[in-house]
Amino acid sequence: MKRVPVTLDVNGESHALSLEPRRLLSDALREECGLTGVHVGCENGVCGACTVLIDGAPARACLIFAVQMQGHAIATIESVARGGALSPLQQALHEEHGLQCGFCTPGLVMTMEAWLKDNPDPDETAIRAALSGHLCRCTGYQSIVAAVKRAARIARERA
Amino acid sequence: MSGFSSIGKRLLRFEDRRFLTGQGAYLDDIVAPRCLHAHFLRSPHAHARIRAIDAREAAWLPGVRGVYRGADLAAMAKPLRMAPPIEGLKPTEIAPLPVDKVRFQGDPVAVILADDRYIAEDAAELIAVDYEPLPAVTSFAEALSPSAPKVDETLDDNLVAHQSFATPGCARVFAEARRIVTRRFVQNRVTHAPIETRGCLAIWDEGRQHLTFHVGNQAPHPYRTQLAARLGLSESQVTVIAPDIGGAFGQKIALYREELACAALARATRRPVRWREDRMENLAAASHAREDACVTRAAIDAQGRILALDVAIEEDFGAYCFFPGNYLARVVALMTPGPYRIRDYAYDVRVALTNKCGAGPMRAPMSMTSWIMEGTLDAIAAELDADPADIRRLNMIEARELPYVTVTDQRLEDITPRETLEGALAHLDYAAARARQRADRARGILRGLGICVVVESTTYGSAFYKSAGIPGSGHETAVVKVEPSGAVNAAVGLMASGQGYETALAQAVAEGLGVDPATVRLQIGNTDVAPYGMGSRGARGATAGGGVLYLASQALGEKIRTIAARELGLNDIGELRLAAGRIERRLAGAWEATRLSLTDVARIAYLDPLRLPPGLEPGLEVHKAYEPPAMTFSNATHVCEVVVDARSGRIAIERYIVAEDCGTPLNPMLVEGQQIGAVAMGLSGCLSEHVVYDRDGQNLSTTFADYHLATAVEIPHIEIVPMHTPNRSTPAGVKGMSEGGVMGAIGALANAVDDALRPLGIRAEALPLTPIALRRLIRTATRRSAP
Ligand code: FES
Ligand code: FES
Repeated sequence: MKRVPVTLDVNGESHALSLEPRRLLSDALREECGLTGVHVGCENGVCGACTVLIDGAPARACLIFAVQMQGHAIATIESVARGGALSPLQQALHEEHGLQCGFCTPGLVMTMEAWLKDNPDPDETAIRAALSGHLCRCTGYQSIVAAVKRAARIARERA
Repeated sequence: MSGFSSIGKRLLRFEDRRFLTGQGAYLDDIVAPRCLHAHFLRSPHAHARIRAIDAREAAWLPGVRGVYRGADLAAMAKPLRMAPPIEGLKPTEIAPLPVDKVRFQGDPVAVILADDRYIAEDAAELIAVDYEPLPAVTSFAEALSPSAPKVDETLDDNLVAHQSFATPGCARVFAEARRIVTRRFVQNRVTHAPIETRGCLAIWDEGRQHLTFHVGNQAPHPYRTQLAARLGLSESQVTVIAPDIGGAFGQKIALYREELACAALARATRRPVRWREDRMENLAAASHAREDACVTRAAIDAQGRILALDVAIEEDFGAYCFFPGNYLARVVALMTPGPYRIRDYAYDVRVALTNKCGAGPMRAPMSMTSWIMEGTLDAIAAELDADPADIRRLNMIEARELPYVTVTDQRLEDITPRETLEGALAHLDYAAARARQRADRARGILRGLGICVVVESTTYGSAFYKSAGIPGSGHETAVVKVEPSGAVNAAVGLMASGQGYETALAQAVAEGLGVDPATVRLQIGNTDVAPYGMGSRGARGATAGGGVLYLASQALGEKIRTIAARELGLNDIGELRLAAGRIERRLAGAWEATRLSLTDVARIAYLDPLRLPPGLEPGLEVHKAYEPPAMTFSNATHVCEVVVDARSGRIAIERYIVAEDCGTPLNPMLVEGQQIGAVAMGLSGCLSEHVVYDRDGQNLSTTFADYHLATAVEIPHIEIVPMHTPNRSTPAGVKGMSEGGVMGAIGALANAVDDALRPLGIRAEALPLTPIALRRLIRTATRRSAP
């Protein structure tokens, strides 16, 4: 299949690539850009493991073709811990034991990082609703909910 | 639970950082140059003969490097023969890939190797397979009908396993019983659905004639044994490496045909071969579980005492036996009596092959055990209009009766079922909950309470396998080393898939040795590095794995103290200990630092061996194997309070409580994570998961939009009441846990829903309890009772 040129702007770095138009963004990020923190769990938009930020908004990388991303800024899990320091949400997930196998973690971190910006003081029901787009087979979600609460508190205290 | 310095601490996980920052290294993250991608063409039919496969067009597609059929693979690898010498179990054999017949929708019929996965999938569409469809067997009942087509044509019929047992007096007790209570339970076919699917990467080194096989497997050594044997290689020609695993739950134990094919083809093509399963394949063709039905009959006296119990289990095992057919249901039958005084008992376990994906162990392979026992107790309570908690109290063994040998020869010891029962009921305030229920019932609100007492068989010793008539060994092995710098490396034959071993098992090593857990590096998942162990299955990690690491570390600690004693001119190592990497000496009852550190001792042991006490070998390394008791149990009581909405059939779980005794927890935070995760998996399976096949054997649940895993909205807040007491027969008093939560959740939720439906005179005997299913039940009942 014919390849087309596309420049992906990921985590502030640009990658000039030549890709088949059908190549999924999730595959391009993982295989061409080496960002294997983008996980693939279903490839049809349900599990949320592949979630990245596109121009700041969460999106499923498995539902987008890489060639559509010309001119958009993409952020993946690899960009979240700045200067090696965990974000409040990452730190809270660590402290609340909000991850076991860790496979769902990057995707839900991306969603909740963005969500917490708009919802700085959420209650449990709202957190559970926001998390419902992510499947986790290990934790039963309780510790993730606790972590999101804790992250919101830390962020509020810092502000 | 005191006296430990590392065990029992709520340490945050050492493995978290890499997962939180996207630096985990899962199977599909491993890069190999010149790698070919495998894709499997799968059968669209549930049952069909393969007349011919025409792959010419596919082979011409640019980027395709080969298409291989069952006949090709048969020349490269041996079949899997499943023929343990067990009475009532028929031997079966599975070819590397099907040659002349497919047995379920999703059965692989050909494998394509191509430069990338996209091309491989294009090629699959160009392969023409000429099938002759055959009638499909899609239920247990159908499988056993005399006219049923044979799923496995080498067998006389589809009944692959049949085992039964009865105490001599059982039939008479039933014959003479005044009252017999009967209840039926139907469990839904479900699947593990780890968020990371299966996959593998096979690298053949033609020069060294060596295979390096990357696969996210829970039991790397037994896997290596089978992989080597089936490729005709020696075990020194195969290295199995398990990377980070994105969830397994029992699905990542077997050597699957897809993996075997990749290994064989890497060798044949002399190029690395990788496979990444997609979700549809995972849901349709990896492994399923739990499709069983059970009828219990209890002979009781006027107070509700069980005089005899009879259990008949039927299991639909699917098309292939990657595990012996009796592997799961037999254990259910052995464990069903649980903590209750049952002296007369009979069981009959029948397992049939059908044209569905093969079944295997899934987190709590004996998941049904507690539900059928506790559901039977509820049936007795309903029959006598008694309180379900009282019926349990009446039949349950008491602490003074321990150790108690059950009617199936299970020795119950150091368990606390009564304590957790009362603990859970008190935490709920049972009387208040019953009062709420009475008030709500008067207003037509369907409120229910469910109790489920769980005795979880966590760690299977070799003696259990032998006496239960299922193949397996229960031992585990470890190597603990202090390197010349004082660094600690510890290896064990388990493999993690989210349990937090790098932290919890480091705590066991740190305890035995007397170092900071953060200094212990756990080496697991590489068969060249870790000693041969039986892997992670059941809930054996803490008892067998933690146990052997603890014992090995203690033995190494003794050697370290022996060397230190000589350096310090002491005769008695009892006055020395290692704490946080320093040698301390007891002087007048108080521990004081000496001039020696662990590093000093390590340097002597490795670099100045002539200074060692006579008889000690140079180096600091201990290799140990440990055989756990025949069976180790933990126990719990789950209590669940629900309200069923009669109009929508929706279940609202208002309270969910677990009072659990898991023995000494290596790390209570991780134990709680496992408890909650297991409960969530049980609830999800009970509420919404269902692998659905239609009458032709077409799987209708092959995406996550059709196979419903519960989300954060459906899973309630789970209240944990820790009631741990140590086990006196295991190292450090560990009991292990991680599957009981599934068992308890199924029983507690199903019992609560039945309790809620009681005013309508109905119960939900079949899982899952979806709104659609419940609404249909309720409608039928209310229509029936309407004038
Ligand atoms: S992989 Fe994209 S949502 Fe599951
Ligand atoms: S931590 Fe394993 S899927 Fe969420």
